[in-house]
Amino acid sequence: MMQDTRPAWWRSYHQATLLLAGFGALCLLFMVIVIAVGVVMRYLFGQPILGSNEIVQLTSLALVMSALPYCTAHDGHVGVDVFDNLLGRWGRLFGDLLSRVLAVGVLGHLVWRAWLKALDAFEFEDATNMLDLPIWPFYAILVAGTALCVLVYLAQIVMLLSGKK
Amino acid sequence: MSPATIGLLGIAGLFLLLALRTPVAFAMLFVGFFGLWGLEGLRTAGAVLVTESYSSVTAESLVVIPMFILLGNISSAAGFSRGLYDAAYAWVGRFRGGLASASVLGCAAFSAVSGSSVATAVTLGKVALPEMRRLGYADSLATGAIAAGGTLGFLIPPSTGFVLYAILTEQSIGRLFMAGILPGLLLVVLFIAVVWFVAWRDPAAGPAGEALSLRQKIAHLGQAGPLLAVIVLSIGGIYVGAFTPVEASGIGAALVILLALIKRQLSMDSFRKALLDTLKTTAMLYMIVIGANVLNPFFAVTHIPTILGEGLQSLGLGPYGSLIVIILAYVVMGMFMDGLAMLVVSIPIVFPIILQHGFDPIWFGVVAVIVIEMGMITPPVGLNVFVVRGVAGDVPLSTIFRGVFPFLLAMIVALLLIIAFPDIALVLPNSMFD
Amino acid sequence: EDMKFANFMPPTHPYVAGAFQPFADMVKEKTGGNVTVTLYSGGELGGGPVEQYARVLDGVAEFAVGLHGYTASAFPLTLIAELPGVVDEETGTKTIWDNIDKLKGEYKRTQLVSLWSSAENVLYMRDKAVRSPADIAGLKIRVPSRNTGLLVESWGATPVSMPVSEIYNAMQTGVIDGAMIDGTATKAFRLGEVAKYLTKGMNTTNSPFYILMNRDAFKALSDADQAAVLEAGREASDLGNKVQLTVAASGIKAFGEMDGKEVIELTPEEAKAFDDLSSGVTAAVVKEAGEEGQAVLDALLGN
Ligand code: NA
Ligand code: NA
Repeated sequence: MMQDTRPAWWRSYHQATLLLAGFGALCLLFMVIVIAVGVVMRYLFGQPILGSNEIVQLTSLALVMSALPYCTAHDGHVGVDVFDNLLGRWGRLFGDLLSRVLAVGVLGHLVWRAWLKALDAFEFEDATNMLDLPIWPFYAILVAGTALCVLVYLAQIVMLLSGKK
Repeated sequence: MSPATIGLLGIAGLFLLLALRTPVAFAMLFVGFFGLWGLEGLRTAGAVLVTESYSSVTAESLVVIPMFILLGNISSAAGFSRGLYDAAYAWVGRFRGGLASASVLGCAAFSAVSGSSVATAVTLGKVALPEMRRLGYADSLATGAIAAGGTLGFLIPPSTGFVLYAILTEQSIGRLFMAGILPGLLLVVLFIAVVWFVAWRDPAAGPAGEALSLRQKIAHLGQAGPLLAVIVLSIGGIYVGAFTPVEASGIGAALVILLALIKRQLSMDSFRKALLDTLKTTAMLYMIVIGANVLNPFFAVTHIPTILGEGLQSLGLGPYGSLIVIILAYVVMGMFMDGLAMLVVSIPIVFPIILQHGFDPIWFGVVAVIVIEMGMITPPVGLNVFVVRGVAGDVPLSTIFRGVFPFLLAMIVALLLIIAFPDIALVLPNSMFD
Repeated sequence: EDMKFANFMPPTHPYVAGAFQPFADMVKEKTGGNVTVTLYSGGELGGGPVEQYARVLDGVAEFAVGLHGYTASAFPLTLIAELPGVVDEETGTKTIWDNIDKLKGEYKRTQLVSLWSSAENVLYMRDKAVRSPADIAGLKIRVPSRNTGLLVESWGATPVSMPVSEIYNAMQTGVIDGAMIDGTATKAFRLGEVAKYLTKGMNTTNSPFYILMNRDAFKALSDADQAAVLEAGREASDLGNKVQLTVAASGIKAFGEMDGKEVIELTPEEAKAFDDLSSGVTAAVVKEAGEEGQAVLDALLGN
């Protein structure tokens, strides 16, 4: 087996995204259960879970946000590869750096705005319609997931610049 | 600079970013964000960013994405997909490209219960792509058939496209659904013809298998059993009104997991891998949705669609001249924009022109939906192609766009036939409602 | 200055020509052209009715139209007006505006521009004629809000929540047996194609609408322009109310005129059977809203 020359911090942040994905997997299974139990309740007991759609919707937020850093760390985002040969090595490096720098900027801004939303939702006690669940924790999850994604991109920029990726 | 100029710069920027390997989701996100910043200020751009992110990841209709992906991944991990495809192979494998044709038919069947192209491409892609590759099909044909077949979700009723068109133009949803059936079947036939033609030109693209006896064929049906049962229960449940699509997706995923556990065909390791893979694909698709939802408001405030519409009216072309210009404009817009967003921004401008020239509004709904379907597989922003790329793993986008090309020609043929013979769209609604 | 008006309804919706465009025109006229308003309909600036409140709060658009019921936690007091038996659909808008001071606290994060009560919700049924609570017992009815859910539950039916855009498919396939929504749905959501019966006449909820303005955008205006926008908004409230009632009434009429469809107008005795069951709903919801809620209820009832 080839020796892993990547720095320790790189490996530990990969571990972190994997850990978070584990939480995402729990969300995924929880979602399957909520939907399936909802259907069973409606048919066998004639009693749908009012507001189960809210549980599913908020779970999907947690699911996506815990999966996003993992997906990003594993280069899961689809790009156009038609011009790869044309770009050459330096062109590819430039493109890869540019998109990551922009991503850090735009997602960083998203983190900031979502943070303000979380504070706002906390202050005004915003809640969901049917179940009256507080909304601020879900903005907080949006903040956390996006912030980790920004960290992943920062790490990738470092790796690209040091020529290790 | 006028908003329209900034809009054109935005389109150029989108092209440039895509060429520089920026992931599709992020290219749309960046152009939408910076475009809105330039036109409306940072407050608005940031506001769009945060509201669209939150509303996309909490959208109930998108919940089918993780559920159907999970269904497909577990089916693969447990070997159910393989069983289904082995059975399909036993029955149609001796024809050239038989499995690709079977996949098109699978897409059509799923389209009859799903209103979304993305869901159709995800579901069939997850099940069919690995199997077609295993059986030696060329990546271009396999992915092309799924990407193009997936667009049937939008034409064969139920269809979110028709529902939106009906609401925008005050037409009957029922009539539009009826009108979509025959053109949908026509496209299925043309797609299968494309598969046959591609496999005839290049026999290695869709190799023919050996013919089996009826007895062997029937024996293979047993292998298809588990997945077939899940599909019939969950998808069939939507048909008979037992489930909403979201419920069907959740029930389907639950059933597949249960079956895999009962049959002890799921190791802890492959289960873990299926879950992680589902998460990765889900996050990728949601980012694309977020990107598109940030890009669309930008196009709206550039007023480009309005300017196109006014320009068209000032040209003073005849009915068919106007129709052709409208279709071409849709094809061009479809290269960059999401189909539903395109309908919303264009219909208020285009619809009066269509009525003024005496075209049937139901018929035009079918034409518009087919053109939008084309947009889903044209470069550079072809949502279905991205989705297939996401589920296919390591197939280059260029290969998929190449594979999709002959299917695009089939859609043009279908469009021409429907323009020449409007009855293809109108005979069903007219006979059933009057 | 040109401002964006976000509207999730299609550009062909009667509200656009009947209330929103007139509002835009009035703002331009009353501010002497200082402020112009461009409508973005059909969710061009972002789809779906639910997120409209967030859009105007954050500044996606300077103006947005929406329904209080979709973000109920932000408007517990205003939503007392939606409860059965509180305001009349004809005079509700005026009643609310006469007591607007008691509701002001809910509009601190945004600027209230327009507010109107809507036509009352009626019962669209897939294939069951409903004349008594027994007819609806155990059936699955889509509801637009938590309060309407409580109402439907009090009748003995089972409330189901789902987005308005899904009613058509859900009713066609039988996932739901009926839906509570106002009469505009005959046309706007094509429920005339999938429902066979429509029942009205009992006390039901209505769903108030708002036009809100982004707070910072409002503060940036001169005093005179602020006053002009508010004046235009108040007039648009009456226009909105008028459009709603007209379209809802014609929707119910059109439903009755379709082949094989029936509008069931409950007799006072039949209606009483429903109202007796739901009489506790308003009191229960108001109790949750505390003293303030009781004060708003008293004011709206004119006590
Ligand atoms: Na469909
Ligand atoms: Na395209």
